[in-house]
Parts: sequence; C-alpha cells; structure tokens
Amino acid sequence: MAVNVKVGPIGALDMLKFKNMAKVREQAIQAAPANEITGDFSVNKLAKELHPDFLDLKIAEIIEHKDAKTFVFESAGQHKIPYFRAGQYLSLKLPIEGSFVTRPYSISSGPSWTKEGKIAITVKSNPSGFAAEWMLKNFKVGDAVIASAPEGQFFYENLRDSKNVVALAGGSGITPFLSMAYALRDGDEDFNLTILFGSKTEADILFKKELDDIAAACSKVKVVHVLSDEEKEGYEHGFITADLIKKYAADDTSIFVCGPEAMYRFVKGEIEKLGLPRRFVRSEMLGVTKKVWEQPGFPAEAKDAKVKLTVKVGENTYDIEAACNEPMLVAIERAGIKAPSRCRSGECGWCRSKLVSGDIYVPEENEFRRYTDKEFGYVHPCCTFAISDAVIEVPGEFF
Amino acid sequence: MAKYDAVVVGAGNAGLAAALHMQQAGKKTLLIEQHNLPGGCASSFVRGRFEFEPSLHELCDVGPLDNPGDVRQLMELYGVDVDWIMVPDCFRCVSTWSDGTPMDIVMPAGRDEFINAVDKYVPGTKQKMVELFELFDEILAGIGYISASNGHADSNVLKSDYPNLLRTGAYPTVKVLKAMKIPQKAIDILSVYWAYLGVDMEHLSFIHYAAMVHKYVTRGAAIPHHTSHEISVKMVERFREMGGECWFNCRAEEFLFDGDKLCGVKTNLGTIQTGHVIANINPDIIYGKMMPKELIPEREKKLSTARGGNVGGRMFTAYFGLDCTAEELGLKDYNTFLFGTSDSHTEYVNMCGSQETNHYGILLCYNLINPDCSPEGTCMCSLTTFGATPTWENVTQEKYVAYKEKEVRRMLNDVKTKMGIDFEGHIEECVTASPWTFARYLNAPQGGVYGYETRDWDGMMARLMMLNDDYPIKGLRPTGAAGPRGDGYSAAYICGQLMAKLTLKDMAEEGGAQ
Repeated sequence: MAVNVKVGPIGALDMLKFKNMAKVREQAIQAAPANEITGDFSVNKLAKELHPDFLDLKIAEIIEHKDAKTFVFESAGQHKIPYFRAGQYLSLKLPIEGSFVTRPYSISSGPSWTKEGKIAITVKSNPSGFAAEWMLKNFKVGDAVIASAPEGQFFYENLRDSKNVVALAGGSGITPFLSMAYALRDGDEDFNLTILFGSKTEADILFKKELDDIAAACSKVKVVHVLSDEEKEGYEHGFITADLIKKYAADDTSIFVCGPEAMYRFVKGEIEKLGLPRRFVRSEMLGVTKKVWEQPGFPAEAKDAKVKLTVKVGENTYDIEAACNEPMLVAIERAGIKAPSRCRSGECGWCRSKLVSGDIYVPEENEFRRYTDKEFGYVHPCCTFAISDAVIEVPGEFF
Repeated sequence: MAKYDAVVVGAGNAGLAAALHMQQAGKKTLLIEQHNLPGGCASSFVRGRFEFEPSLHELCDVGPLDNPGDVRQLMELYGVDVDWIMVPDCFRCVSTWSDGTPMDIVMPAGRDEFINAVDKYVPGTKQKMVELFELFDEILAGIGYISASNGHADSNVLKSDYPNLLRTGAYPTVKVLKAMKIPQKAIDILSVYWAYLGVDMEHLSFIHYAAMVHKYVTRGAAIPHHTSHEISVKMVERFREMGGECWFNCRAEEFLFDGDKLCGVKTNLGTIQTGHVIANINPDIIYGKMMPKELIPEREKKLSTARGGNVGGRMFTAYFGLDCTAEELGLKDYNTFLFGTSDSHTEYVNMCGSQETNHYGILLCYNLINPDCSPEGTCMCSLTTFGATPTWENVTQEKYVAYKEKEVRRMLNDVKTKMGIDFEGHIEECVTASPWTFARYLNAPQGGVYGYETRDWDGMMARLMMLNDDYPIKGLRPTGAAGPRGDGYSAAYICGQLMAKLTLKDMAEEGGAQ
C-alpha cells in the first residue's frame, strides 16, 4: 500500500472511530423519541389526491342537448374530485349486463368546476354505440358511477405548443375544446384558441350557446362554425379543409384535432397538405378503428373468424371466446372480467398485459408500445386483435 | 387461497433482484407490483414517436465483459442478458472553480484517463490521484469483505487487510480529501459526483463516496440500449422463465401475522399465504400503513423518528423529444452537470432551499451514446434537478403546472446561457416528472427516490454493520433505497439480493428449528 492516510490530528484513534460507527448510530437512534409511525407524507397525500385509483361519483345533474346529454358528477364520498388539465378525459367503468366496460370521455366542464366539486362529460347518441346508448337510456340523477381520475396528454403545454392554437372539432369532439375555452375564460390556462367546429346544420351545433357566451366574454377564445349541410350567413360552409385552416391559422400555430373517426381521417389528410412539422399537430383518438379489416396488414381470413382466449388474472383463469375483428379487451370485458383500461386507443398503456401465446394484429396508428414490450410479447389489449387462439395474463384493477 | 414460499412485494430494482434470487434458489416465489409495469424508476414511457428513459443517467458497476462489475455479474448470475452500451465519458461539468473562475471540463471514463485529465486541469496532481485511487481499491475490497460477512466482520482481518478503510471510514469525504492534501481545484473536480449520492461532500461518508466513484470511473458506467425498461422486463421475463409468477396492478394492502410471525399478504387480488415477504417498500410506509401497530418494536419507532423522514433531494426531470439532431443543437456530451458553484455543500443547501436559490441541473442527450434511441432527425434530452425540499409540500393542485414550468424554464435558460444550447423551436414532446410523479408511481416517501440520506450517523457502513438490528419483524425483510446500501440502481439490485440471501437464511434456520 503506497498510501497511509491520516485524517486530522488524532489519526491513532481513527480505528476506534470506525469501530464506534455502529455505537454512534445506535446512540442516535436511542436518543430519539419512539413516536408513532404514521406513514403519512404530504407529497404522497397530494399525489394521491391528484391521482386517486378511481373516482366514486354520483350524477348531480343531467343537461339535455339535441342528440346528447351532459352528465354532471359530484363526489359520492370517498374521493374528492381533483383539478385537471383542460383536454383530459375520464374513463367510465360501467357495469352493463354482466360485463365490465370502460369508456373514455373528454371532460366537458372547466377545471375550475372542481373547486365546486363538479366535473362533467357529454355523451352523444350513437345508435351503434353500445355503452353510449346504455348511459343515455339508464343514467339518472343520483346514480353512482365509477370513473378513473382525469387522464390523458391532450392538453396545452406551454413549453411545447405555440401561443396560438387552432382546434379542429367534429361532433362530440368539441368537449375537450369546450373545457379549454372554460379554462381560458376562468384563467386556468393562457393561450389563444380558435375552434373550427364542424356540424351538419346550425341546429345540430352542440354547446352553441356556451361557446358563443365564452367567446363573447373572453378575447382568447374564438369559435368558427363550419356547417356541412347548410349554407348560412356568419358560418363557414363545407368541411374543415387545408384552405380553411390556413384562413384562421397564424404563421405560428399549433393544431389540435378531436372528432369522430371519419372526420379525423379526413382532417388528417388536410393537415398533411399544410406540410407542418409534427410538433405543431396533436390529436386525441380515444378509441380504435371500428373496421380493423380495412387496416393494412390485417389478414383477410380473420375478418369473420372466432378464436379461444385463455385469460389469467391473479390466481384465476377464464376460457372465453373472441372475434378476430374485435379488440381482445372487448372480449375480456364481455366475459365479465374486470380488466384495466383507460384510453382504448393504445396510447396510455394502462391495459398492458402479457401475451403468453398466440398471434395478434395491432393497427399501426395504435402502436404505442415500448420497444422491449414488443420484443417480449406485451400487448395493449384495447387495440390488439387476436388472430389465433391465445393465452394472456391481464393485470388487476383497484375499483 | 394462493400459497407461496416467498412473496416479493414491489417489482422495483431491489424487488426484481430479490425475486430472481429466491426463485433461482428453488423457492416458489410470487412477485407482485402495484403498477402495471415492473422497475419502479427503471421503466420508460412513450409520448408520440419517443420512448423516454425516466430516471437512469448511467448505471455504475456494469463494467466491460472482461472486467465485470457487480451489476454485470449479478445479471449474469440470474441469466439476464441486458444489451449494455458503455458510457465513454464520466461527465462534462459547467460550473465555477472555487477560486471564482469559470469551469468547463470533460472527464473521461477509465482510471488512467480520469487521473490524467485531473492532472491536465490541475497540473502536478497525478501522484495524489494515483494514491487516491489506490485508497479506493482498498476501501472497495474492505466493503466487499464486510458485506460478505453479513454484519459479522472480524476486526483483526479489517486491521491487517484494510487499515485505511478503518482510518478513513468514519469521516466525511471532504475531510479525507483535504487530509490527503489534494489541491482544492482537484477537489472541485472530485466533488462533481456528489450529485449521484444525494448528499453533499461534507456529510457523505468517504467510504460510500469511494465505492461509488471507483465504480463509475474505473469500471465505467453503462446504459441499457432500450431504456431501463429493458432491464426490468428482462428481469421479469427471466423470473417467469424460472417458474416465478408475477402479478401486476396487484397492491399489497396489509401484511398478516400469526402472533409475531408474518403469515400472509392481503391484496386487491385476494389474500396470499406465505411465511416470507421481501418488501421493496419504504419501512415507514410498511409500519405506518401496512401492519398492526402493536407489532412494531420501540427501536423501530426511534429509528424512524431519528431519521425524521429526511429523504434529501428529490428528482425533478423534464424530458424532451426534439425534432432536430444533437449535432444541429451543438451538443457533444452525453452528460453535463450544470452547477452554480463547485462547493457541494453550498450547492446542496441552495438546491434544497427554493426555486430561487436552486442552480443545479443535469443535461443528458441520449442520442450521443445511443444514436438510434429516437427516430432519424430527432433527439431526446432530459434536464434534471432535485426538487427543492421544503417548497414541494406547499404547491397546490392549481399551482402545480406553473410551478413545474418555472423550474424547467430556469434549467432551459441555464443551458442556453451557460452552454449556448437552445431547445426553442424544436420541442415536439415535453413531459415533466416531479416528486409528485415519483410519489404517484413509487409511493416513495415525499416522492424521494434516494431512500433516507446516507449522511453522518446513518451512513452506508454503519447501516451495514447493524444489518441484524434494523427491521426485526419475523418473516418480513424490507429492501430498496432505504436499505443499508443506500440509493441508486446498483445499490438497489445488490440490496435486493442481500435481503433474499437473508430470507433464505431465515428459512434454513426455521427448517433447522422444526
């Protein structure tokens, strides 16, 4: 050993000091009072309040619209409704006919409503929509409803987005932008929002009065109605095209898109014509394509085929049937299995499960899996289609 | 009811290592995790076309194939094949020398390279550096001996084989470096690493420091090719392959006891029968929330009170997906420390003070060592500081977003003014993780990822020496960052393994008693 280290003038006692480390520590421990350990920490408490496992809500009010209803919720007791970012969604957990079904709905109320303990979603009638029709038919004031906490990444990010946002909305896709408009009016957010809102006719416009009132009260919000089936003074006519976007977008503008699948696909093509860098375009899907067989790479023979799924949750195993043209999650829910899911478009990853065996198809637009997850057969069942018999391990849920 | 030889609660780094060790030893093991992902901090998240690394900057003690460090050896022992990328430089540091002049240094990895670089910046220090690294060697070997002895080290062996470990072991780092008459400017360089250990050089035990710096510099650090999620998934998959079972979104709600001996775990997926739990959970959470109060010994309450919930600095990170390359930004170094001062104590106090006093930041650009980690024409960066301790408690839900943004803008501004690097006009994705985020996903006290400060009386060596005194609940062994090895990925893996070894010993003793 080349070096012989001596620290301080009492190097000879260093060894004793080393030996005494345990004694010193024990003395420090014994000198402390034996306070009760609570396990309570302020930051953890705040994190839990902001991100509870779920929200137990009850319906406080139902507001009727043409072809839609707004359900205003308040807390049913256990969890206080947290503040959220305008644009986020709630995933409702619905017990329908022996199934557990989740549905994501953008929050249509403003963040400041949470100060009064309120939060709202708006459900539009959709004859082919199993859960939407069930809610519109069955939900009544006072009913208990379980939902996720506010989730999702579809909100304004000051560090990333332009100060000017042009929102492209179709039908009930207006809800996240209505929430943003409230947030701007109430001072919860600060940017300039121009909403291009596509509806069929003036009479079909959802939240027309609310939007007009906010625009009148807040200079940061502007609403342009685009009517496809009606020509009328003061309204744009036709669809939301590249030219129309250009007409309302400043040089430096972020574009946010939310609407039904058909509108989303049309608008996506129009945005591409603008040649904008990707950082200027954001969209909210909340759902997987209804016609997976039209997606590139989906095996034609699987369109009408059925397969057997073996689903494991903890120590329980279930054998169920699934159609190849439906996401695995739909089959799992239909069987009454309580499986986790939130966004249902592959993005949030909350349903992440282990595919033990079997062949699958994932539409490219829903492919948000981690690199290593793909390598080891982890899937997001909300947008994964089993095209052979399969075995899958699904995580638990907390509600 | 499900029945297992052992249940590992929490699939964080320590829990993963513990589960692998138990299953490999032939015990029927169940690993449960409250999140839907393994790894705790060692994970990843996807935003748009980017997959972000949440926490790992560099993993020390991997080492090259021909000189494997503890982590590489541990992974090899369990058959976990991680695709490692070695990190070529230790760091760049943009700060101020203690004489007040501006500092901008790049320190390479490798013992000789590091020593030569110190000598280049502070001419005439080579011999001192060689001596320091020899001292590191001795200390590392001594820690290895003490660890292997499970709290029963022979003081005669220590005296004869590791005398300098005994001489320096009870002192804080700065004191030892000064006693060795290392020039202040070289101490400035050597002080950069305090950041990884969660406490400043005046309170950090020299032994702890020596072990870590030795591992970073000599063996070289590494990152996994596909974020730390790669490590965690590969550990889970290997565990499954050995016959282990793993349940996600499964939260341990309560530990069940038969008398004073653990007999099961109550979870949201049902009750599990077991005589042995290794809990990757902070002991304060276990004692406070998960078991009968009457079973908690007085000494444990005193230990908790003595620590006073002091978790030290807490990670705050902003992640950026940029639509330009590192070259276009002008970035050359993977890892840059941005300090206000090279005096670690002042820096630490400022960091824990408020948003106004904090000048601390670490800039990473992953593409510089892992070129294909993001799509062509893009790069991924992160900016980390340590959340100022008193102020995070006072942030309200409504003020949270603005508070985070202020912290990120401060760091972005430092990067711009001190390094001439500007992200503006390139930010395609931007996400922040605060102590709230870590509290949400890890349930770590106050969102701290460092366990309890390994400072003064509660240093790593003292904890290791008292391995058999802390946490004396029968059948329940806590592990993780609050454990004897302290914080960090490598410490957690080793601590998980250690607690599995002790659990196997418990099992053998029970068997013998029956």
